[in-house]
Amino acid sequence: MPQLNPAPWFLILVFSWLIFLALMPPKILTHQFPHEPSTLTAHKPKANSWTWAWQ
Amino acid sequence: MTMNLFNQFLSPTFLGLPLIAIALMAPCLLYPSPAPWWQSNRWMTLQNWFIGSFIKQTLSPINTKGHSWALLLATLMVFLITLNTLGLLPYTFTPTTQLSLNMAFAVPLWLATVIMGFRNSPTHALGHLLPEGTPTPLVPILIIIESISLLIRPLALGVRLTANLTAGHLLIQLVSSAAFSLLLSQTTAASLAVGLLLLLTILEIAVAMIQAYVFVLLLSLYLQENV
Repeated sequence: MPQLNPAPWFLILVFSWLIFLALMPPKILTHQFPHEPSTLTAHKPKANSWTWAWQ
Repeated sequence: MTMNLFNQFLSPTFLGLPLIAIALMAPCLLYPSPAPWWQSNRWMTLQNWFIGSFIKQTLSPINTKGHSWALLLATLMVFLITLNTLGLLPYTFTPTTQLSLNMAFAVPLWLATVIMGFRNSPTHALGHLLPEGTPTPLVPILIIIESISLLIRPLALGVRLTANLTAGHLLIQLVSSAAFSLLLSQTTAASLAVGLLLLLTILEIAVAMIQAYVFVLLLSLYLQENV
């Protein structure tokens, strides 16, 4: 089975993690999830926005 | 004959350059970063909805400490689902059929959850090795069994994704080559094979998305256990 060929294993690991860590997260991070617009009659606006948690 | 069928999974190189790098770039190139307008176009809205609802579903059973894994899980999901579904187009290479790639993601991420568990609450993490209410004579053997099942998790995670996608692609190649070779001599058999191929392709689309989801879901479960 060619998948078991150990030659490109390290290269594939390096490339995939490089792309996974460096290129994809900025694209996902720029997605924001703002408040949903509430009606005028709502007394207490529900504050339910969410950001990418870091703690 | 067998070697010929598996050749589609050979990591492609051109003049010594690995082309898998280009295949891996596909998710980055297909998703433009969202712009800061209040109302975005349909593609951005769809992405936003998908990522938002996926994160909501995945993180709701995990306590607040594990929420810092949100970005990693979302990125992994988008990455895997894109690679899997793009690989179903004819003549494309699916990087997730490579065991190296799947193990490269499974082992470090699983190990991260285990190390987190052992560092933050070692007693609780060790307690997972013995289910509650076990009869005393069974305790030693059960600890051994649970440890083995813990250690086999990354292997299972990687091999599950590899095997599912490899098997799907192999089946598609087999059935399509059968349909093609039978096309002129036995047309009815060929048309049945084409029908089978259609059903198989629909199955493979589902499998591609489900396997990506299962990978990330299991990781979130391992995280939930250890956080």
